[in-house]
Amino acid sequence: MKRFLRRTRAVAHKEVLHIIRDSRALYLALGLPVVMLILFGYGMSTDMAHVPIAVADQDASSASRRLVQSLTAGGDFRIADHLASPAAARGEFRRGRAKVVLVIPAGFERDLVRRHRADAQLLVDGSDSTSATIAAAEAAAIAQATRFGRNHPQVSSGGGPPVRIRFNPALRSSYGMVSGVIVMILAMVASLLAALTVAREWERGNMEQLFATPVGRAEIIIGKLLPYAGIGMVQTLMVLTLGSWIFDVPIRGSLVVLFGSALLFIVSVLGVGLLASVTTKNQLLAVQFALVASYMPVALLSGFLFPIENMPWWLRGLSMAVPGRYFLVVIRGTLLKGEGFGALSHQVLALALFAVVVVVLAVRRFVRRLS
Amino acid sequence: MTLRGWLLSLINVMRKELIQTLRDRRMVASLIIAPVLQLVVFGYAVNLDVDHIPTVVCDQDQTQASRNLVQALFAGDTFRDSGRVLDPQATEAALESGDAAVAVIVPPDFARRRARGDHAEVQVLVDGTDSVRAQVAAAAATQFLLLHGIGGNRVPRGPPPAHVRIQPRILYNQRLESPVFMLPGILATLLMNVTAFITAMGLARERETGTLEQLLVTPIRPATLLAGKCLPYILFGLVDVLAVLILGSLLFHVPLRGPLAVVALGSFLYVFSTLGIGIFIATMSSTQQQAMLGAFAVILPAMLLSGFFTPISSMPSWLRPVTLLLPMRHFIQLMRDCLLKGSGFSDLAGPLVWMAALGIAILLASVARFHKRLS
Repeated sequence: MKRFLRRTRAVAHKEVLHIIRDSRALYLALGLPVVMLILFGYGMSTDMAHVPIAVADQDASSASRRLVQSLTAGGDFRIADHLASPAAARGEFRRGRAKVVLVIPAGFERDLVRRHRADAQLLVDGSDSTSATIAAAEAAAIAQATRFGRNHPQVSSGGGPPVRIRFNPALRSSYGMVSGVIVMILAMVASLLAALTVAREWERGNMEQLFATPVGRAEIIIGKLLPYAGIGMVQTLMVLTLGSWIFDVPIRGSLVVLFGSALLFIVSVLGVGLLASVTTKNQLLAVQFALVASYMPVALLSGFLFPIENMPWWLRGLSMAVPGRYFLVVIRGTLLKGEGFGALSHQVLALALFAVVVVVLAVRRFVRRLS
Repeated sequence: MTLRGWLLSLINVMRKELIQTLRDRRMVASLIIAPVLQLVVFGYAVNLDVDHIPTVVCDQDQTQASRNLVQALFAGDTFRDSGRVLDPQATEAALESGDAAVAVIVPPDFARRRARGDHAEVQVLVDGTDSVRAQVAAAAATQFLLLHGIGGNRVPRGPPPAHVRIQPRILYNQRLESPVFMLPGILATLLMNVTAFITAMGLARERETGTLEQLLVTPIRPATLLAGKCLPYILFGLVDVLAVLILGSLLFHVPLRGPLAVVALGSFLYVFSTLGIGIFIATMSSTQQQAMLGAFAVILPAMLLSGFFTPISSMPSWLRPVTLLLPMRHFIQLMRDCLLKGSGFSDLAGPLVWMAALGIAILLASVARFHKRLS
């Protein structure tokens, strides 16, 4: 046991020297999370704002103007164009000038006065399905809340029905983004860096030298894993600090659970990378393998960008084998909902299981022989 | 060197590169099969449509009126019944554990107040951790409550308030299917991987193993060598475009409404520019590890800023002009408009010219750097 520890430490020490020598790679590994976080936080906003709207007002009455005014008042929509007829809508979409076109038919005010209800039509550019869904729902809700006519005093839009948002009242997409970025960054940098390590030794012929020493398979794998796990933890800490500093992301739950599961998650993705490295013995292929096996599933199936409940059953099943899925629940739970180990024990256990299985697999696939 | 000699050496380099690539089956897999696999998983996974939101109900009133309201709530596709609780406190727990994303609480005096024509309150709680879903859920809940005369402002006695209904009509992608919208983005990232990523790492590897130097002592000029190494990847890229378009239309009913020539020209220009990016990264790195990280440092921001996941119009105003410098942004726009809206050459002249200009600039810069590195 003592020997095992000493040899593992020696392999880890060698890997640390590798990392430090190639300082450019280290800077990139530590700089990428910061760039990603800032881009995600500022650039990747799904917050509805200033959706360009074109108006074809065929009624030209005070009621129709009131409707247009209440749509733009909240800042959700911005008038991009006034159209003479609804027929111009397609041209507007094709040139990308407007995303929605509001058509107010002639007789709008008359209907409103006589029947107390009137219809308007909203043409939506469905090529961007997310924005289209939100814009259509938003416009319909605003129109419903608008009061028309002289009997009813004009009201501010603040008096809507009692819908309350929990955990993220301002609906800032940066909250969800920060938790997602941690998962993505760790999955990417960790698995890809690990994919290179063992394959590099094979390509450069160092493996022969390593085999000439008494170092065993498990010692090589674990020794290679440790330094990168350290980098991963530093990345986690960096993203969390920056997230709470720049984007005011709260940390309401247990830090122990958060960092404990971060470590388990890092070991899992490192394990996948090492498995790729051990199997292919070729850096370029190992990276491609790790991309498909680790980074893509985490990006697509973890529930970060795409809701899992909407996926077909076979993908939902597949997503159970994606460690990022569990880690994302842990991060969102501890950051935004203030949960501890009690509510998240299933996720933590799943992460631990995955980590152990994948590292054992990597060790077993690692043949200590020259072909 | 004569033109014939130049062509001959170009073809020889290309042949060598093709043989070397195709001999390794795993390489072929990662060039052709992996992209197709990713498209399939991606296409089925990217369902951004927000519906079937798990909703927990706490009906403290237990009257006909309240039951009707709850039934009406689940009549549509937006909310999915995920259980009833008796205690309002339990709704909080359901939100915290993630069992439900929306909670609806009907107070005990709901029916009574409603019968009196009083202001009836129903409380809706929405889990805000997923902001897109929360936005849709909140808007849908607001609309639902207003439609049933709940909430809003206290209605004065007298005639009922006038209501305006806005009826949405969706053009181009009537069923609002996400794959149709996401396919161009998927294609753009796949091509970026096949061209930029693999070229960058491949060239770095030749440098690491020293085979690049061996080739350079032959009479082949560096520019010819570079062209011969890159052309096969343009070919692989175009094969991927074809495969993705065919699979996209078979599996996900992605239409092709615009001219195919626009798609072909756009793809060629895009692959051209991503190859340039790959070579540029290779000239900046001396090991494969550096090349890989460098490629990621370029590809990831490009992916995030290209309008792939989130609309460019939602980005802050200082960031929007930056996106113009990304070939990926123009390619995605071109593909979306051409496939879905049927835009032609005249509508898409902007993206085409941008991609050509960016491609030439990047390629010239990287060839210049390549020469400098060698001398």
